[in-house]
Amino acid sequence: MYAQFFGSYLLNREAVSPEDLTAAITLLADTHIKLGTLAMHMGYMTASEVDEVCFLQTREDKKFGEIALRRNYLFESQLDELLKAQIPDYLLLGQTLVDMGCLTNSDLEELMVSYQSECQLSEEGDGYETQSITTKLLTNFFKQSGAEISEYAIMYMNLIFNNLIRFIGEDFTPLTPVFCEEYDTNCCVRQSISGAINCISRIDMSEDVALAFASRYAKMEFADYDEYVEASLEDFLNLHNGLYSVNMSNLYSEELTLEPPVREEAPTLALEEGSFVIPVIYPFGTVYLLLSMKEAD
Amino acid sequence: MSDKALQILISDDSILARKQLKDVIIKQLPDVQFVEAANGQEAIDKFKETKPDMVFLDIVMPIKDGIEATKGIMEIDNKADIIIVSSVGTKMQLKSAIEAGARDFIQKPMNPSQVISVLESHLGGK
Repeated sequence: MYAQFFGSYLLNREAVSPEDLTAAITLLADTHIKLGTLAMHMGYMTASEVDEVCFLQTREDKKFGEIALRRNYLFESQLDELLKAQIPDYLLLGQTLVDMGCLTNSDLEELMVSYQSECQLSEEGDGYETQSITTKLLTNFFKQSGAEISEYAIMYMNLIFNNLIRFIGEDFTPLTPVFCEEYDTNCCVRQSISGAINCISRIDMSEDVALAFASRYAKMEFADYDEYVEASLEDFLNLHNGLYSVNMSNLYSEELTLEPPVREEAPTLALEEGSFVIPVIYPFGTVYLLLSMKEAD
Repeated sequence: MSDKALQILISDDSILARKQLKDVIIKQLPDVQFVEAANGQEAIDKFKETKPDMVFLDIVMPIKDGIEATKGIMEIDNKADIIIVSSVGTKMQLKSAIEAGARDFIQKPMNPSQVISVLESHLGGK
């Protein structure tokens, strides 16, 4: 989930526009990491050294590693390490934005360092995801909206982002959560959960977005908004909440009760206290996640 | 597995979930007849009416949930072959389902090979 939250950070810093970020996310599947981006990420080369080697590559038919070795920017052992390294997915996003001309290598270097520092990730090593890193990412993500979020809610949001990746696609960026009391609906479905927590979960989107969302979820092509499209939205929410209740049972021995998902008919909802909305940008449009969660007394 | 026409009741409030399950089953059993229900009470009523060979029940459904529907169906026929299909696969839910009379459980998201395996083991002799 590093790439998704790094995208959100870039938007908050106004380092890129939502349009450029969406375009970069769309290109991600076809992007391969460059050695220079990785060398910068590992702290072996500075942005200006990477720029210089890239410039030299336009003058001579040599590989990046060969030139970097000749210029003494890398040791052989470091080059070997880079060639064998696993690639954190957020680096690809950063590199794509550099390739598109939205960021310079220097911008990316500064943004990577500041993001890791703000998320307190530097001590964790290289940014590969672990449970604790994901928790830090989420905690930091919610801090941007000035809110504290409970352990159960962190677990809920962690799972829903993972389920978006799993069932809809990883090409999204969540925007900063917004706390609100009133919400205008489009195609909105709701599911309530009770037990150790009392939770009302909703997803909402326009009809066009719902067609694309449902097509991805059900692996079917939908041309018109019909009962199957609506059922896809309800199914996704029900599946996610079902898996959440399994996790709550396994990890905390807490049994939750799920109400069947229903469509919200009201054009405007008066939301429960403490409700927040997270817009999630996909290339096909924006999906809104709405959640209110309280621990039972 | 015999290709004799069988009747299978599928109860899920999601029309999409019912379709996805039917799509998997029909590939294995092209002559199967489906009976559908969108809630637990409807499942009991349709079971009483049609006496299907096998029943697939979701847990989270309106009016009566899958556990209550299992109990209701077992009161009609205590040999009913009931399979629970749900994302809410907690140990407690499984225990309740088994105590109510369910014979098997399929976790959502549904894996077609698991559905096929359940069909083969439960309908093998029919």
